[in-house]
Amino acid sequence: MREGALAPVSPGSLRSRLSWWLAVQSFAGLGAVCLVGYLVTAAGFGARQDDALRQKEGILRHLLGSEEGHAASMPQGRHALDDFLAGHENFRLQVIGPDGQQVYPPAPDARPLAAWRELRFEVARAAAAPSQSAATLQVQLRMDVQPDDLLLGRLAATLVLAALAGTVVVSLGGFTLVHLGLAPVRQMAAQTRQLSATTLHQRLDGAGQPAELQPLVGQFNALLGRLEKAYAQMEGFNADVAHELCTPLATLLASNELALRKHGRYRGPQGGGEVAEVLSSNLEELHRLTGIVSDMLFLSQADRGARARRAPVASLAAVAAQVGDYHEAALQDAGFTLQVVGDAAGDFDVPLLHRALSNLIGNATRYAAPGSTVRVCITHLLGGGVQLVVENTGPDVDPQVLERLFGRFFRGDTARSHGQKNHGLGLAITDAIARMHGGRTVASSDGGVTRIGLQLSLAPVTGSP
Amino acid sequence: MQTRFFDNPGMKILLIEDEVKLAQYLCKGLTEAGHVVDVAHDGVDGLHLALQGDYAALVLDVMLPGIDGLSLLAALRKTRQTPVLMLTARVGVDDRVRGLQTGADDYLVKPFAFSELVARIEAIVRRGQAGVPAGQPAALLRLADLELDLLRRKATRAGQALALTAQEFLLLTLFLRRPGEVISRTEIASQVWDMNFDSETNVVEVAVRRLRSKMDVPFPAPLLHTIRGMGYVLEERAP
Repeated sequence: MREGALAPVSPGSLRSRLSWWLAVQSFAGLGAVCLVGYLVTAAGFGARQDDALRQKEGILRHLLGSEEGHAASMPQGRHALDDFLAGHENFRLQVIGPDGQQVYPPAPDARPLAAWRELRFEVARAAAAPSQSAATLQVQLRMDVQPDDLLLGRLAATLVLAALAGTVVVSLGGFTLVHLGLAPVRQMAAQTRQLSATTLHQRLDGAGQPAELQPLVGQFNALLGRLEKAYAQMEGFNADVAHELCTPLATLLASNELALRKHGRYRGPQGGGEVAEVLSSNLEELHRLTGIVSDMLFLSQADRGARARRAPVASLAAVAAQVGDYHEAALQDAGFTLQVVGDAAGDFDVPLLHRALSNLIGNATRYAAPGSTVRVCITHLLGGGVQLVVENTGPDVDPQVLERLFGRFFRGDTARSHGQKNHGLGLAITDAIARMHGGRTVASSDGGVTRIGLQLSLAPVTGSP
Repeated sequence: MQTRFFDNPGMKILLIEDEVKLAQYLCKGLTEAGHVVDVAHDGVDGLHLALQGDYAALVLDVMLPGIDGLSLLAALRKTRQTPVLMLTARVGVDDRVRGLQTGADDYLVKPFAFSELVARIEAIVRRGQAGVPAGQPAALLRLADLELDLLRRKATRAGQALALTAQEFLLLTLFLRRPGEVISRTEIASQVWDMNFDSETNVVEVAVRRLRSKMDVPFPAPLLHTIRGMGYVLEERAP
């Protein structure tokens, strides 16, 4: 989709484009070479034929001009011409007398030529005797060029085929070369694919890339660097803001609490008073602010790659039961039963798991159907790892809501009515705790059962986050 | 009625905090509670005072000009075992670990409630006196007509047995051990359930409400009171 957005009109692949161009170019080149070869050969053939005709012309002039040839119509003259033509089957001769009569050959040609080259000339016959008048003979000499034409035709066909075959061979070679030549581009594309929003520290490896791609790699890496820096700044900014708020908040909390204490009448309704009321309200809001600030600091720690401090845990079911005890009153109040299903052992950060599970159970308590059972299901994952899922029955959660569930400051619409306590960072923190354990959060909702939980890897994740 | 902060008032406390305003308020609060408070705004003065004076407890900020809190603590520990409560603005696990390794007795993450600070100071001082025989822990806790028998795990009020769950019994024990002391929700979660985080949920409120419905509501004079914005207190009030 994204590529489509960048290039609405697809220009096809670089490889096929280059291959096509190479094919067209090699065909044109080979075609030109073949054409020149053909034309030169054809011209050579023509010149040879002309030479042959002129050679015969000389002989004929001699024959027709001589005594024996005086009368081509005479049997002995005809015989001389027959002799001349014998052994030269590829020539045809026609002689027209001065009176326009064909004097040779006596009979019409039995085997007329299909293709010929013609030479016409006149032979002036001097009067041999005074009784005879001078006369001019029209001579038409034709040479059979069909074998040459056939040869030329075959040559042309061969050349065309050779050009085509040559084009195919060159194209295939070109295709392979282009494929090989573009290998660095493909390798770079593969490298780029491995980059994601969570791996900002990664860079493209420019080593072994051709010089043409080096500026691209450099530029891309510089962009990544800027992105990472901006991201770090943003994260740092969040952490700094939260951090800077801590001291003023501590001062405000202390001063409000002291003022309320000094008022001395914060105990009991009789002592109320307007100022005490305002101070109490301030304190409540300050505690809420404190909660948000410390949650944000927690999240920024997780974002910066803080890891869970793992210690052996014999039974995750016991941990879940402990959190269940914490929620016991609230669960009973809403008429829920809590059930822990399954168990697992491993190295985990128990205080963090307390917090994650508490958030999950709290969330389930908000959405579960009245009187239903909330289940904490602990299962081993196939690929190694443990899954902790809190399952409750209730109306299905919109898939779009499920997607954003672990986002920061996200609250489902119905949750807004649940008062000030919930500022929408609980599940984001659960997500952070999953990440700190090298895991992730999972959420599904169908058939009236909503399952939200976290998957934890059993071994601490080594290397950078 | 005198506000009661400490089991043993009149302690000498050294507060080392560079934020002048916060230091002022903390000093004021502790002084009002009847303690003698010395304040230092930087590490050098702080260390000097800590080594010279004889304090029952130290409240020490991690980030200090001069000598930072951790170095100060390390220097102090060479000669003194004064209980130290560290104040840290960071939630970084490193600070926590380093602070406790360097010899802090407890830490408190800014921002904190004043009552939380008071509770923590008291706790580290008490822990410091653990060597001194403090008498047997009472097996029977009593306030007004409310009685808790820790050995038999029985609670009665005005002679009537209260049907408490295990969690409710623990919660009531916490209140009865520290009568008249305001206890925050965070501390309740930590002390009763070992849940050491600020929770978005209202589970503590619900737990207190359910406890109250059993030990307070059926009786004429309520003992467990809500202090808005601060927490809860168990005490007998004049009608």
